Amino acid sequence: MTLEDERACMAPLQLAGQLIVESGGEIYRVEETITRMGRALGLRDVDSFAVPSGVFISYRLSDGTVETAVRRLHPGATDLERIDRVNSVSRRIEEGTLTLAQASAELEAIRDDRRPVRRWQPLAAWICASGFSLLFGGGVAEFLLSGAVAALVELLCEGLNRARAQSMFITLIGGLVSALVPMAAALLWKDLNTAPTIAGALMPLLPGLAMTNAVQDTVRGDMVAGLSHGMSALLTACLAAGGALVAAALFLRLTGGGAV
Amino acid sequence: MSIDLFHALAGSLLGTLGFAMLVHAPRRSWLPGALIGMAAFLIYWLLGLAGLPEAAAIFIGSLTGAMAALFCARWLRMISTVFLMMSIVAFVPGLGLYQCMHYLGEGETVQGAQAGIQAMISIAMIVLGQSIGSYLFRTLVKPPHHRQGH
Repeated sequence: MTLEDERACMAPLQLAGQLIVESGGEIYRVEETITRMGRALGLRDVDSFAVPSGVFISYRLSDGTVETAVRRLHPGATDLERIDRVNSVSRRIEEGTLTLAQASAELEAIRDDRRPVRRWQPLAAWICASGFSLLFGGGVAEFLLSGAVAALVELLCEGLNRARAQSMFITLIGGLVSALVPMAAALLWKDLNTAPTIAGALMPLLPGLAMTNAVQDTVRGDMVAGLSHGMSALLTACLAAGGALVAAALFLRLTGGGAV
Repeated sequence: MSIDLFHALAGSLLGTLGFAMLVHAPRRSWLPGALIGMAAFLIYWLLGLAGLPEAAAIFIGSLTGAMAALFCARWLRMISTVFLMMSIVAFVPGLGLYQCMHYLGEGETVQGAQAGIQAMISIAMIVLGQSIGSYLFRTLVKPPHHRQGH
């Protein structure tokens, strides 16, 4: 490999790290993927250090100098399929079935792939919330209403996201609407059990992935990333539940507690 | 355990499937992942029926779910995160968190704190079960010569 080829390896390594972090992946996975890809491409002394907001990569060129780069990252929407595709590219480089040029092209294709996945989100939220309302002891009415509320909240959150609202504010509003609509419905529908309906509607807002990432990063010995993901999960759960708390207090004040 | 078998199976399957769709898990992981989530919850449900305390049932359900998830990730050559997340999502105490907020909203601080602590214990058991399950799997099952899902 020429010196220019070695220097050209930095871009795909950075892109792989960027795609994993921005799609909601674990930090240990970013570092492991970059190191494995670099070694498989024939680079020496490959090192990577990632945090949830950036990635640092360095390796030694054949002339003895060290090539280093830093990239600032901004976590985006969770997309596990993207992480899986990056992982597949990394695996095929290691197996020797993908050249540097092919890997770069595939990673760029993953970055530029803007699938219309958002259309599925309200349906996904509906299925998720309906299922959990059953798990929390709900019946048919709770099953239907919980799903409908979650789909509505998902559409609302997407709208707020497009309006560039802060993610914390979006979660808080999501929690508030998830609780407020079933409480209002219970005024008209006396037999409705609000607890499983609201709890089911809140479930799509809860941080299942951040919790998994926190555990996995901690198990691999990365306490900084584990704590960071853990705090993110805790904050998200508190905000979603806090929205429900505001809704409950508001409703109690307005109705005197009859429907809550 | 206040729900029947149908509610436990249908609820955990649909809830896990919907959550997988929400985080854009690869489509070929939806069914196996939802089945792992359902099986883990079924273990928890059966242990609850057998009289085990809830925290212990969550711990064992989460631990077995994590091991099944890691096995499935290796078998299907996919990232483990997908299956690990799906194996625990049915244990996330959404109802407990809501009850905590509901009581606090009504000014019943003691009951709110009780529900909140119960929810925190459930979360701690999920984390503990998944950590130990992941550690046990990686210790007991040697990785193949060429890397599979990592």
